Amino acid sequence: MRYATFMAIPFRSTTEPPEGTGHAPERQPLDLREAVSFDPTCEVSVATTPVEAGTMVRLEGVRKSFGDNLVLDGVDLSVDPGEVLVIIGPSGSGKSTLLRCVNLLEPIQAGRILLEGEEITRKGVNVSAIRQRIGIVFQQFNLFPQLTALDNLTLAARRIRKIPRREAEARAHELLASVGLKEKAHQHPHQLSGGQQQRVAIARALMMEPHVMLFDEVTSALDPELVGEVLVVMRNLARDGMTMLIVTHEMQFAKEVGDRVVFMDGGRIVEEGPPRDVLDNPKEERTQQFLRRTQLSHTLEELTIDEEGGSE
Amino acid sequence: MNLAVAFDWSFLTENGDELLAGLRRTLEVSAIAIAGAFFIGLVLGAARAHRVPVVSQVAAVYVEIIRNTPILVQIFFLFFGLPQIGIVLEPFTVAWVAVTIWGGAFNTENFRAGFEAVPHRFREAGFALGFGRLTTFLNVTLPIGGRIALPSSINTYISVVKNTSLMYVISYPELTTTALNINALTLQTVETFTTLAVTYLIIVWTMSASIRVVERRLALPEDAR
Repeated sequence: MRYATFMAIPFRSTTEPPEGTGHAPERQPLDLREAVSFDPTCEVSVATTPVEAGTMVRLEGVRKSFGDNLVLDGVDLSVDPGEVLVIIGPSGSGKSTLLRCVNLLEPIQAGRILLEGEEITRKGVNVSAIRQRIGIVFQQFNLFPQLTALDNLTLAARRIRKIPRREAEARAHELLASVGLKEKAHQHPHQLSGGQQQRVAIARALMMEPHVMLFDEVTSALDPELVGEVLVVMRNLARDGMTMLIVTHEMQFAKEVGDRVVFMDGGRIVEEGPPRDVLDNPKEERTQQFLRRTQLSHTLEELTIDEEGGSE
Repeated sequence: MNLAVAFDWSFLTENGDELLAGLRRTLEVSAIAIAGAFFIGLVLGAARAHRVPVVSQVAAVYVEIIRNTPILVQIFFLFFGLPQIGIVLEPFTVAWVAVTIWGGAFNTENFRAGFEAVPHRFREAGFALGFGRLTTFLNVTLPIGGRIALPSSINTYISVVKNTSLMYVISYPELTTTALNINALTLQTVETFTTLAVTYLIIVWTMSASIRVVERRLALPEDAR
């Protein structure tokens, strides 16, 4: 499979600003000439995201609870433009909720979230315009089942940005080719494998030219043999300079692609740092425990199940 | 006795024009009512599924009243009840209004169930792309939920067609009323009711056959559920 570059396809020629946006994304048009560098080991041309000063995403004291259940307990986090942040942690630690809060799919109870310096959790914000700047890919793909892969990509562009079908389809074809699915444009989701569906979902999110991409356990629902093709697409995207927040259990991927790893537990960030530090030499006892369990660095013989059902 | 032998075929040539006029009225009323029931079902079903304040509660009361009373009573109410408060309706008006209201109530439930069956994750995918509530409804909930609601709403449309025969009680000369009038004059009972039954059979059969085609073309794979 060859992957063309993801972001080398300027697209917003006739369409600025997007529908109903009070705050048109302040974003330079992509210019490949100034941002291209080549990695000889990589078959992908690499362009970095237009970089603005400051952070891409910043969470300040974010608290979120479902009823009495506190899911995010004062999370502070900031992600630089072009950074790949990998979030790991046990289930229920709040990592998926964190992503969903960033995309405003879940309201937060306290704190604030900033996107490119703009507070997106304040009242009266244009949610639709904000979400167009944030792509999200879900564990369950969530492709529209009644539409072909191509229409899944073009729907939002045509309906929200009012981009003519032809123009939208041209870009959609290029994006599908870039995720290795050139031939599948006219297939419906149920005709595709899980890995293919997830790649379509990534392409669909990219269609809106997001400034940051959120990945919520995107390989967790896949057969093991299909995980790789999705991770390759994500790696290429990272190499293209996309800012990414990735919730995953793929530790090897975190090590190879992540710029920084955050370990969460009980709605708090327990430890963060470069992948090599956090994953190979974790300082916190809780991180060590989690990694022991997930990586099975001990043989199964050594593991026991404690009274709460955890393994040690 | 052999029905084919007993059947006097001249019945059709002698009463054909009148029966066709009745059939035309039946189809007319049915078409209006199906369109109306579709529209009512769509709007109120969406309001119910999305719990739109006030509209949702009003729709719930409407559905309960219509579902829990016989349609015959509803027709009597429109035709004999309303004039008491000064609203006098033509038989034709009563005919299409009655079946529209009836079909609309059932269709509200059909569409509500269809829309509610759309997994939230699809709507969320729409929101995540920047769709607003209305765009999400139109592009995600409606196409998916509408398909889920299709079989049950078709049953409602078929019942709407059959219920037009009740307009006999207000002497609106649709197919059944026409046939009964002919029967009263000719006393050709076998011919009358055979013709009547076969005609309804053909209408409904045609409907369900063409709709099966539509249903197949629109079918969603089961993973959409």
